[in-house]
Amino acid sequence: MPTLADIKGVGLGLKRELIPQIQSLYQTPLLSNLAFVEIAPENWIGAGGKAASDLAWFVERFPIVCHGLCLSLGGPDPVNTDFLKQVKQFLEFNKIPLYTEHLSYCSDIQHGKAGYLYDLLPIPFTEEAVHYVAKRIRQTQDMLGQRIAVENASFYVAAPISTMDELTFIKAVLEEADCWLHLDINNIYVNSVNFGFNAHEFLRGIPGERIVYNHVAGHLQVQPDLLVDTHGENIIDPVWALLDEAYQLFGTFPTLLERDLNIPALPALIHEIDKIAAYQARHQLKQTKVA
Amino acid sequence: MLDFQRYQIAFTAHLRNPTQHKRPARVTDARMAIYREIVFNNIFSSVSVCFPVCKNILGVRAWRKLVRQFFANHQANSPIFREIPQQFLQFINDVKDLPAYLQQLAHYEWVELAIGTQQTELIKLSKNIDLINEKPILAPANMLLEYDFAVHKISKRHIPNTTEKTCLLVFRNNAHQVKFIELNAMTFQLLTLIQEHEMTGKQALTKLAKETGHPDAEAIIQFGMEILNNLANQQAIAGSKKIS
Repeated sequence: MPTLADIKGVGLGLKRELIPQIQSLYQTPLLSNLAFVEIAPENWIGAGGKAASDLAWFVERFPIVCHGLCLSLGGPDPVNTDFLKQVKQFLEFNKIPLYTEHLSYCSDIQHGKAGYLYDLLPIPFTEEAVHYVAKRIRQTQDMLGQRIAVENASFYVAAPISTMDELTFIKAVLEEADCWLHLDINNIYVNSVNFGFNAHEFLRGIPGERIVYNHVAGHLQVQPDLLVDTHGENIIDPVWALLDEAYQLFGTFPTLLERDLNIPALPALIHEIDKIAAYQARHQLKQTKVA
Repeated sequence: MLDFQRYQIAFTAHLRNPTQHKRPARVTDARMAIYREIVFNNIFSSVSVCFPVCKNILGVRAWRKLVRQFFANHQANSPIFREIPQQFLQFINDVKDLPAYLQQLAHYEWVELAIGTQQTELIKLSKNIDLINEKPILAPANMLLEYDFAVHKISKRHIPNTTEKTCLLVFRNNAHQVKFIELNAMTFQLLTLIQEHEMTGKQALTKLAKETGHPDAEAIIQFGMEILNNLANQQAIAGSKKIS
């Protein structure tokens, strides 16, 4: 049974179109740096047929991380405990040691009824929201019987009612919920452009001891001051620089390449995976020398 | 309700129905437009991918309007992405002014997704298939369906102008492919009997011959066996099991 310690090195988000390619290149030198894969439980829970047999193939061969999209930690409707029970079963059945979610919401209440919007929306950064979200993270951890990691989300609209900045909000939630941080380097960069702050300063304020996992990705530049987090492009240099500094500051941590749109063939994606692995190796070497 | 939640609900009300609900105060429209676009497009593509024929028949404008109504008025209650089309199906069942056949066509289109991803349990089958003296067992993922329209023939060029009772067997074969077989009324009845009762193939056919009042029961049985064998060859019947 894999444990959190088995999630290491570099991983790739498991998109359907990549599955046959990974299967055919499995155990070839090309994939030597692919150490784990990540899936969204919302895509796989309850699926039979081809999906079930594909998943079983991966469970036998790779450590897996679950990265959720619809738990809606910041949502106004009650936590979906039926869904959480399914997640718990799913994690156990597929021997998945890590479940992470977003610091965002994807559901609402209209006319007295809860409903999903299936996308990640920005939580206003207020004191009340800190307590509310932290409480729901604790509820989730209690139900799952394990600690979860929450991810700093990308967003496009700053809530005018916010009373603190994003970093203060993240730190307060992590502290109060006593959960892990799923760092997303690309999201720091996207938000720094969208809201005009210094990404490196932001990174230096992150509580490094809580990081268990990390995402990097490409994004879409819509305007000079507007980036959309599409996961549809290659990683750009400023994001590589941030990743470099993050490893420098906090040591290396398992890092996943997210690619959800314009997905190139696997050999092209592998270049980015290899590059992340090279960054990790360089920093691990440095740290060994220092020690 | 907490203050920040009132803001969230105003935010999502605007996303769901921008013409009816203003965006929250002091939020720039250009930025809000990003959410309006990505959230709706995500729902639109999740729904559209499942219902290509419905979309084509209604035309993109009417289809977009229908999906917009769905997003604006239907509080989808499943966090599972694969179930978004099913939620849409529930929604259109209550929509007036749609062509009479459209709900059934949408159901037929959704069935492919449903059968393709249905979770199944392993069934113990006899080592040697015996459709005469044992109970024929359908493929684990299957649906026996009755429609009032010939849903499998509908296209933009072929709009039904009358009802036409249509029976289909939809199942997943061993290669995980979803297959559709059109059934005549008799075969549909036979498979329903076998599904619902603890009966051997021969018993089901004998009962069927009696019920239909056919003069030549032997002929029915022989003909029925051919049909069952044929379905087994197509993997619609997975095997057989001794009856208890």
